Amino acid sequence: MNKLSALFAAGLLGTLPALAQDNCLTAIPITAGTYVVDTIDGPEVPQPVCASGGNTATRGEWYVYTAPADVSVTVTSDLPENVAVTPGLDTRVHIYTGTCGALTCYDGDDDNGSGYLSIALFNLQAGQSVYIAWDNRWNARGFSFSVIEGEPFSEAVSFTNVSVPVTGTLRAVVDMNNDGLDDVVGMNSETIDNVTYTTGVTIAYQQPGGGFSAQTFPTAQIPNTPSWSLCAGDLDGNGWNDLMIGGGSKVTLLFADADGNGFSTDTTYSQYIFCQRTNLVDINNDGLLDAFSCHDVQPNVYFLNNGNGSFTFYQGGLGNTPGGGNYGSIWTDFDSDGDVDLFIAKCRGGNQVVSTDQLHRNNGDGTYTEVAAQYNLANFTQTWSSAWGDYDNDGDMDVMVGASSFSSGGHKLLRNDGNTFTDVTAGSGFDTFTGTNIEHVTHDFNNDGWLDIMGGANTIMMNNGDMTFTPNPVGFDVSSVGDLDNDGYMDIQTGATARINNGVGNNYIRVNLVGTVSNKNAIGARVTVTTASGSQIREIRSGDGFRFMSYLGAHFGLGTDEEVLQVTVRFPSGIVNVVDNPAINGTLTVVEDINTSVQDLAKQPLVLFPVPTADILFLSGDYSSNKPVRVFDTNGKLVVQTMVTGNHINVGGLVPGIYVLEVQTADGPVQRSFAKD
Amino acid sequence: MKKIALLLLLAVAVLISCTKDPVADVAPLAPADGPDQVVFDPAQVPYPTLSAYRFFKRPMRAQVPVASVLPYAPISSLFTDYAEKARFVWMPAGSKATYDGDGNALQFPESSVLIKNFYYDGVQPGNTRRIIETRILFKRNGQWEFADYVWNAEQTEAYLDMAGSTTPVTWTDANGVTRSIQYRIPSAGECQMCHKIGNTPVPIGPKPQNLNADHAFADGVRNQLKKWVEHGILEPGYPKNIMTTVAWDDPTEPLELRARSYLDANCAHCHAPDRQCSYRAIRFQYNNNGGAANQGICMEPEEPVDPSLTYNIAPGNVARSMVHFRMGSNDEALGMPLIGTSLVHAEGLALIEQYINSLNQTCN
Repeated sequence: MNKLSALFAAGLLGTLPALAQDNCLTAIPITAGTYVVDTIDGPEVPQPVCASGGNTATRGEWYVYTAPADVSVTVTSDLPENVAVTPGLDTRVHIYTGTCGALTCYDGDDDNGSGYLSIALFNLQAGQSVYIAWDNRWNARGFSFSVIEGEPFSEAVSFTNVSVPVTGTLRAVVDMNNDGLDDVVGMNSETIDNVTYTTGVTIAYQQPGGGFSAQTFPTAQIPNTPSWSLCAGDLDGNGWNDLMIGGGSKVTLLFADADGNGFSTDTTYSQYIFCQRTNLVDINNDGLLDAFSCHDVQPNVYFLNNGNGSFTFYQGGLGNTPGGGNYGSIWTDFDSDGDVDLFIAKCRGGNQVVSTDQLHRNNGDGTYTEVAAQYNLANFTQTWSSAWGDYDNDGDMDVMVGASSFSSGGHKLLRNDGNTFTDVTAGSGFDTFTGTNIEHVTHDFNNDGWLDIMGGANTIMMNNGDMTFTPNPVGFDVSSVGDLDNDGYMDIQTGATARINNGVGNNYIRVNLVGTVSNKNAIGARVTVTTASGSQIREIRSGDGFRFMSYLGAHFGLGTDEEVLQVTVRFPSGIVNVVDNPAINGTLTVVEDINTSVQDLAKQPLVLFPVPTADILFLSGDYSSNKPVRVFDTNGKLVVQTMVTGNHINVGGLVPGIYVLEVQTADGPVQRSFAKD
Repeated sequence: MKKIALLLLLAVAVLISCTKDPVADVAPLAPADGPDQVVFDPAQVPYPTLSAYRFFKRPMRAQVPVASVLPYAPISSLFTDYAEKARFVWMPAGSKATYDGDGNALQFPESSVLIKNFYYDGVQPGNTRRIIETRILFKRNGQWEFADYVWNAEQTEAYLDMAGSTTPVTWTDANGVTRSIQYRIPSAGECQMCHKIGNTPVPIGPKPQNLNADHAFADGVRNQLKKWVEHGILEPGYPKNIMTTVAWDDPTEPLELRARSYLDANCAHCHAPDRQCSYRAIRFQYNNNGGAANQGICMEPEEPVDPSLTYNIAPGNVARSMVHFRMGSNDEALGMPLIGTSLVHAEGLALIEQYINSLNQTCN
């Protein structure tokens, strides 16, 4: 109906030559063929912008095309008559669905053609209409373009653009309101004199029914911005994700308020820190989340959580190279021994010592030992980031060290063989892939059960399942990654545009974790999903790639497997929880539970019963009856603080759900989870 | 009135000198026209105060060097948020620097000192000169070391401070434009970022290509290299034909040489072999930036910032040139130079724009 009325309007107004093609409503209906644009002078500027090159066009020319059948459509200005023009032409095209005044980008292109000419290529279904709008971003000169129909094509993964009402500089896709849906975070700033201040956080909250609702929370005027990187996690354990701002000379920790409705507390540290990748991770495994930053020109720095809202600055012990060269830190358990280790992708001109990558193995006692050479990872490729994932699904973390420049070697794909990493780049597809980037991340973008890698050349390298990868161009750069439409496919947010993964019909499961003994986000946990096809592993990380913050859970594509046999979660505390046969194509939330840990870590024989309970919860075992008992919800929020009366407490006032009870014992606090009916 | 205050200060200094480290306190006593008394004890430097070196006649804020300290200036200088700079060189009596190539810093003898004052004129309120810092490079045991001295508000002394800091400055320039900035005084790590080859600290400015021009010395205009020889701090016999930079802001010089000189002074300390960013293919040092490839003309950027920025330099097309975009950005992660400036250098950007617009190669 909309399509018909649009065509009708276009046809009707098309009889007025002065207005034809000058705006969306007067778009000229066209079919396959070649058309001449005399000059780009129509007053309606194509909006939104669907191609690179920014938002400074002032004129447009409008056409509308309807597919006669299921077809691929090529809209191209890369025609011999245009190529012959001197000086060279420079065109830009936007392809829209929707109705005039409410258009949505469907495709678009700036420079895919030769020189600065444009080629947009997309599939349409029979009867589907799109607006084709050219603008004068580069110049208003006339040119010809063709619309060519062909057989529909298939892609391993494809995306549809959706506008998200986020303002400021996009830095994160992460669940900020604990509803299990990924939200979009933009950081607002203001430049006064020559200093740029962070002034607010805009969160576009993903709505349960789809779409986003944005809210901007002003902050204090913070003299630091996440120009280099940002990461998120619940540093203070109040149930809400805080932000670590990595700027060009400083680190700022920005804390979410107790009600999750603002960011009114921040600490900017006085030390000179040229931040690169920042991460939140429990460095000393004391159950409290710490903060780490790569330092470009000095030894790396970290802030250990004192548990009282304060953090203590340290420099040294986690990458001490004089001169720095520290760019991409990834905290991963490379040796699968249950604690997080640290790999640092390094880069520096003229100095192989500074640019040699490092691997810091966690000794389990809060200290780390640099062992990159021992594991064949001490390469001096010029790299700003590495993508760690189990690319061959054999149960350990492999790595693709992504080159930012080929001046000291290319991309390196390294297979984890237990006691060493074997360079398997040759023949993997990364040996011939010429795209470079400072960002490299891994996700299963087509839910086939094999981790893909996104790096340079606006391309996702699709994992073929045999440690080879095939380039799949997507037309946009790496950025924050998460599920922005809750369909189980990983999407990518670039600026204010969500690149929504169109999916290919595979199954999936998402596993979100709640730490109770471990840090609340369970950062550092390893999740294993087992299906008939085998097992896959993921780690919970705050801060991967180089600059952005992405989904804080574990996403697994299942291919055509219809059943998950088991989900195993190893929390940083050592607690291991197992869920058998969870539902697929949805989110499984696992709350860290020492009672049901399959490892013999429950040294305190404290038992809660009945579980679930309606009101009275009995405690049996070793606990201090003269010390307060505390109950937390799954967000980590304190909901009850009381004393044990006799041998029980009353939790009748709690809404039904999963809770964690904490008692004091002679050996310190002990936590148990329970369900309230 | 001022003289009385000065005398009073002197008296206080004399009193203090009775009880404190004599090295640190002799300087204020040096007569304004007194003998050359630079103090440089390799075992003691860096001194806690700038005055301890006695590089300058009193009052130190006049920036008038003692006889053995020679002022110099590169032909094109680095832009640092419009700060004015006064540069000086000192070497121990009898030691000389030697020529080591047009585009390489001179080879300096042990205990050489390079001194660079950063100041603003027209500082508000009061429209006065304010010297903010004095950066020193000195050579000890064959290695260059950094020392940075931050001047006090009274402009009577500067104190060693390697931690880095910011200080607000509001000034009105010669054209009547008033600007306010948070001026960045670098930390040791920031000094090292630019001042290095490999990981070894080096001076940047005193290269024959930058010095081979006339300079107005106190006793007349003279070619700087010749002056250095006459002053006894440079071995004679360096080549006659030196590939020399031009003043980037001299409109009588050829546009290309102005652009290349500007890129050398502002970019080549990182974008040259064995420097911080030598893994990027562009090369901006003057003796190597004459070709299209090294300037980044028609070279695709390795770090995607925006796909519309198709080349580091797109001939005739600044909107598609990464070099132009980065020079015009004050985002600290995207703007260039990476450190040392927080303002866009509008005049430098205009020069590069003019240069890019003058190019007409076709990129393949």
